[in-house]
Amino acid sequence: MDPECSRLLPALCAVLADPRQPVADDTCLEKLLDWFTTVTAAGSSLLLLQENPCLVELLFRVLKSQDLSSRILSFSLRLAGIFAAQEDCFQYLQQGELLPMLFGEVGPLGGAAWTAPAVRSGWIQGLRTLAQHPSALRFLAACGAVDTIFSLQGDSSLFVASAAGQLLVHILDLAMRGPARGRCSPQACDWPACAQKIVCHIEDSLCSIATPQVTQALNVLTTVFGHCRGLWTQGLWVRLSPLVARLLEKDPVPASHSLVDLLLSVARSSVPSSDRGLWETLAQTLSHLSPTQAGPLALGILKLQDCPQALRTQAFGILLQPLACVLEAAAQAPGPPGLLGGAAGDPMTADTLLCSKSACVGLLCCALTHLGLLQPLPQRPSPWPQAPLLGAAVTVLRLCSGSVAPTSDVGGRLCAILVGCGRVQRAALDFLGALSQGAGPQESVTQVFSVLLEYLMSPESSSMVLKKAFQATLRWLLSSPKTPGCCDLDPRTQLFLRELLPVLQKRLCSPCWEVRDSGLEFLTQMTRHCGGQAGFRQALLASEVPELTKQLLQDPESYVRASAVTATGQLSSWALLAAPASPERPGAQQSLLVELLHVLCADSEGFPRRAVMQVFTEWLRDGHADVAEDPERFVARVLQAASRDPDWEVRAQGLELALVFLGQLLGPRGSHCPCAVALPETAPPGTLAQALPEAAPPGTLAQALQVLCRVQLFEFAFRALFDCDRPVAQKSCDLLLFLRAKAAPCGSPQEAGDSPNVASVEATLQRWQAGEQGQPLGYLEPGAVMAVLRSIDLEGLRDTLAESSDHVEKSPQSLLQDMLAAVGVLGENEADCY
Amino acid sequence: MPEIRVTPLGAGQDVGRSCILVSIAGKNVMLDCGMHMGFSDDRRFPDFSYITRSGRLTDFLDCVIISHFHLDHCGALPYFSEMVGYDGPIYMTQPTQAICPILLEDYRKIAVDKKGEANFFTSQMIKDCMKKVVAVHLHQTVQVDDELEIKAYYAGHVLGAAMFQIKVGSESVVYTGDYNMTPDRHLGAAWIDKCRPNLLITESTYATTIRDSKRCRERDFLKKVHETVERGGKVLIPVFALGRAQELCILLETFWERMDLKAPIYFSTGLTEKANHYYKLFIPWTNQKIRKTFVQRNMFEFKHIKAFDRAFADSPGPMVVFATPGMLHAGQSLQIFRKWAGNEKNMVIMPGYCVQGTVGHKILSGQRKLEMEGRQVLEVKMQVEYMSFSAHADAKGIMQLVGQAEPENVLLVHGEAKKMEFLKQKIEQEFRVSCYMPANGETVTLPTSPSIPVGVSLGLLKREMAQGLLPDAKKPRLLHGTLIMKDSNFRLVSSEQALKELGLAEHQLRFTCRVHLHDTRKEQETAVRVYSHLKSVLKDHCVQHLPDGSVTVESILIQAAAHSEDPGTKVLLVSWTYQDEELGSYLTSLLKKGLPQAS
Repeated sequence: MDPECSRLLPALCAVLADPRQPVADDTCLEKLLDWFTTVTAAGSSLLLLQENPCLVELLFRVLKSQDLSSRILSFSLRLAGIFAAQEDCFQYLQQGELLPMLFGEVGPLGGAAWTAPAVRSGWIQGLRTLAQHPSALRFLAACGAVDTIFSLQGDSSLFVASAAGQLLVHILDLAMRGPARGRCSPQACDWPACAQKIVCHIEDSLCSIATPQVTQALNVLTTVFGHCRGLWTQGLWVRLSPLVARLLEKDPVPASHSLVDLLLSVARSSVPSSDRGLWETLAQTLSHLSPTQAGPLALGILKLQDCPQALRTQAFGILLQPLACVLEAAAQAPGPPGLLGGAAGDPMTADTLLCSKSACVGLLCCALTHLGLLQPLPQRPSPWPQAPLLGAAVTVLRLCSGSVAPTSDVGGRLCAILVGCGRVQRAALDFLGALSQGAGPQESVTQVFSVLLEYLMSPESSSMVLKKAFQATLRWLLSSPKTPGCCDLDPRTQLFLRELLPVLQKRLCSPCWEVRDSGLEFLTQMTRHCGGQAGFRQALLASEVPELTKQLLQDPESYVRASAVTATGQLSSWALLAAPASPERPGAQQSLLVELLHVLCADSEGFPRRAVMQVFTEWLRDGHADVAEDPERFVARVLQAASRDPDWEVRAQGLELALVFLGQLLGPRGSHCPCAVALPETAPPGTLAQALPEAAPPGTLAQALQVLCRVQLFEFAFRALFDCDRPVAQKSCDLLLFLRAKAAPCGSPQEAGDSPNVASVEATLQRWQAGEQGQPLGYLEPGAVMAVLRSIDLEGLRDTLAESSDHVEKSPQSLLQDMLAAVGVLGENEADCY
Repeated sequence: MPEIRVTPLGAGQDVGRSCILVSIAGKNVMLDCGMHMGFSDDRRFPDFSYITRSGRLTDFLDCVIISHFHLDHCGALPYFSEMVGYDGPIYMTQPTQAICPILLEDYRKIAVDKKGEANFFTSQMIKDCMKKVVAVHLHQTVQVDDELEIKAYYAGHVLGAAMFQIKVGSESVVYTGDYNMTPDRHLGAAWIDKCRPNLLITESTYATTIRDSKRCRERDFLKKVHETVERGGKVLIPVFALGRAQELCILLETFWERMDLKAPIYFSTGLTEKANHYYKLFIPWTNQKIRKTFVQRNMFEFKHIKAFDRAFADSPGPMVVFATPGMLHAGQSLQIFRKWAGNEKNMVIMPGYCVQGTVGHKILSGQRKLEMEGRQVLEVKMQVEYMSFSAHADAKGIMQLVGQAEPENVLLVHGEAKKMEFLKQKIEQEFRVSCYMPANGETVTLPTSPSIPVGVSLGLLKREMAQGLLPDAKKPRLLHGTLIMKDSNFRLVSSEQALKELGLAEHQLRFTCRVHLHDTRKEQETAVRVYSHLKSVLKDHCVQHLPDGSVTVESILIQAAAHSEDPGTKVLLVSWTYQDEELGSYLTSLLKKGLPQAS
């Protein structure tokens, strides 16, 4: 332990044990425990207690104190647990009879303090930490702790009850890991006494008529099979599985949710390899539970890597049942075999769907979500009924929108329940999107496009439904087949696009910002992926979408402006924003650059400015035509604007752009000195390096540095180096290190270390470092820059910046000082908040 | 047995991250989704695993309601919706919806910038989360689904703060969030109607405090700022982007104008415009005075307060600077503090709470030598002042609200256990209602007796009215009818209408009784005697002697017959329908007393 902390500790312990000194901030005690955990993990707890006797004294004083707060008592129990986790320290504390006094009947357990959940929680957590060695097990048995833990499983506090269950598992595991390692006999007599006691308790609970007790037992077992890896767990299952199976005989099945969790936990463990009866239990459970309860179990079974085909078929049938019922109810005439291959629908599922709106919505949403989760998995059932599932998703969506009128009674009732139901619409659209990953018959895909269009057009669609509809549409469009022989969209998709774009146009004018934004996000993604496809380009250019998108740069909502920036940037990259530049309209494309620069300089919100920086970085990286015209001027203007930005993310993005520029000028990171390589060959077309020959002959560092000086990149980077926001300084440091590494092997073209320019730069930088950033650097000579770069301890700065800026405040000394300083000044602000 | 269950995951006996689960008539609602600024690991968010354990979040929860934009009430929202996976609706007022992302973004930046956390929600996640928000207007009843409805009430506290009534059928819960019962410079006082909820969940930050007038604190604040500026010092006021800062700006602006002061006042760049924008946009949410004078002069268009530039910090002379963040833990406010801390002429005023570990917390607890990065020690010579401007109801205000809403039960959250205990007793004594104060993770279960609404048919009501009795709320009376349960609705209708609606035939049910009379005369004569007797006794009823010898009174039929064994005794056969049950019973008892002797 740090000597300063050792010095502060006695005073702090005295404060903690003094009931007249409340601890102000409830996070302090937690942080103190974190610190002790770290300290004891790194060294001997015994030594720590011997060197700091105030700690044991604190525990004794806490026990004696009558009116101590429950928080301090809880803290002390947890602290004692941390120390006693090491066996020698445990013995040390035992000698002083401290542990029985803290955790036994004579301690808080028997007193009034026990009514506070914080104390009960501290007691459990203390024991949980303490129980690491055989001595701890003996102690638990001797002080009767296990019985208390049993009773705490039913605690009024969820946190306490849950922690009690976890502790039982931990003790059981510890007991079985000891002398009984490797045994898997289900015979109780072979097991350690402590484990026997816990298992008997679980057995009793499983046989209980009280559901909460059954739930507790099932939860404990779920944790056992989820976390414990010993062979003994197989023996445990052999012993307990008849009791678990007996739960299925009850009607209704008690604690069904916990039962499902347990069975899945067992199925994922090593048990199935030894007990094939488990599959039978799972099959029985599937058939005993209601459709809603059985859904999660069916999904879990289908996710298993290895399980009998019959069980998988049964499980898949359960997931499909609700959709099969919907298909059957909505069918106008007997059609081809549906989801269940013509088998009759389960009457129980149909009942659930029709009994109440909430049951119907719940069951359908679960089925849609479960199937959506299953779709992308490699272990999904095969054959996968893609076409009927598409039909079902479309039917559900149509029932929700009221665009189908089923003739059957059941269909009519379903329609009445589902019409306008946003929850089902959202789930069905997500599912429909997921189904885009599989192929479907042409007819189904046409239906999908038609229902998506219906939703995107409908005035009834809420903004969230529209967002999901846009997302599903995007997925379908991106997965649609390309015309054979070329990479363009197939005719059907093109037709859909032509119908879609007027709808998108309308949505971009929606009064609801969420809708405008979702529309722009959709457009950006579509353009990113299909910008080069003739069909898409044609349809887009024939619409007013690009023009509208540009108008949205003036949107009152900053989120929308930011999305409009990204979308226009993307459109412009693919020359989709306006008619291609012609002699009559030479400035058509150029105007966007100006417009975006204006956004960067003038927008009052950070999102649009950040978006502009991202677009510009992308443009520079990809060699956008407007940038390629004069990259130097472009970079200079952007950096100038970014350097003044109040948002650190814009400044950081400015450094990102500078780094791209450097890479183009000097070669990418990791490559050697640019002097050795011909710049134009390494740079992508349309980038600065291509433009350089006109400005200056490539190949020399001096020329590159001249360019960097002209765009004032150094001023920007040096200013950023002392930025009050750490990520900016870090990025700048990286950039300058990169630059120095690139330049250093080549040596300095001019040794300018002692020139007056260098001295002035260094003086200015010192002032900047002190926080006075008013003065500009002015024009810099490349030589001076290199000299300054060499003189700054960039590595040291990088190491300092690598630590989070509050590392001093987070230090244990700071914590102890703060806690001590807060004593006595808890006046008016003690209960204050935001 | 129907019940309401409440489990705080946060704000149960603490002032941390508010997050309260309410289950009402099978509907599950999460009230607030806050974060704790004092932690930088998982502990800053409520432990949602207790909900995910019950299955998928979106299936379990019907909605999330956010009371206001403070991070201890909404800071975990993007994490909850985008990282834990809640996909359902989130309700909040329009100003909260507009301001929430700004504060979340501010906090995200601090977490990423200062703490270097990579696994934190992103800007895109904040936006996606905000798209799930459904904005609600004050006093507008919003139907979450067919059964669940919510309604917002004005809460004061900060711009857009609201209390929410959550109603399922006849059961309801009111959640106050944070509220203020006294108006301040820019906001009005909280108000709720007498909605008599089954449960009122109220904050209790100042459970035992009667706060002094805010005017005193304001005077004190202005005096301190003025004195510092007068002696040529600089004043730093670290604030969060929106909220208290605007209140203090109004205060200073008015004071500067009144005193004709020239020292500049600056506000972190960009924030003045932003704040102005939102306050202008949501002017109906401010107090009466601001609303009234808005047309002549917008109080949020400050003449004296200018945007701050980093370079200004080095300018000589006095000035006042509002800078973010509010706890002096990073960014601009910390940078200015470091510059100015060494001069005893300067002053820093902390207008709110600071968590442990921040520079704000350290200087408030009196530390004057602060270790900074690189082993540098910063000596704080400037004056440090704490002034609480947090706008919470004090004990009096809480009692006032309980009185206003008239709940059946009260549950305290967002306060300290000891203080809650005191307030709990006070509420129980004064209002004779049960008061609860669960700790985090503890569930309070309240049995309820739901009243089932029954519609009464117009015909039945008209019939009742025809009897000439006007309805009187103070004199409830019995109304006879047939209760029909159809399509999950209950209706009380006349039996005729019930039969008609249900397509049933009417069955006649008659009660019969034999009364033995000692009478030696013939049966016909006995019948005449009965007729005369009843005619004289029952003057208001229609008594008839029918040709077949039987006597009727309304639907009651009386026939006289000879006794099979005793010729001196006659048997009266009395029968009546259930409608005349009362009269039938009366007649029987009358006849049992015998007939008067013939005169």
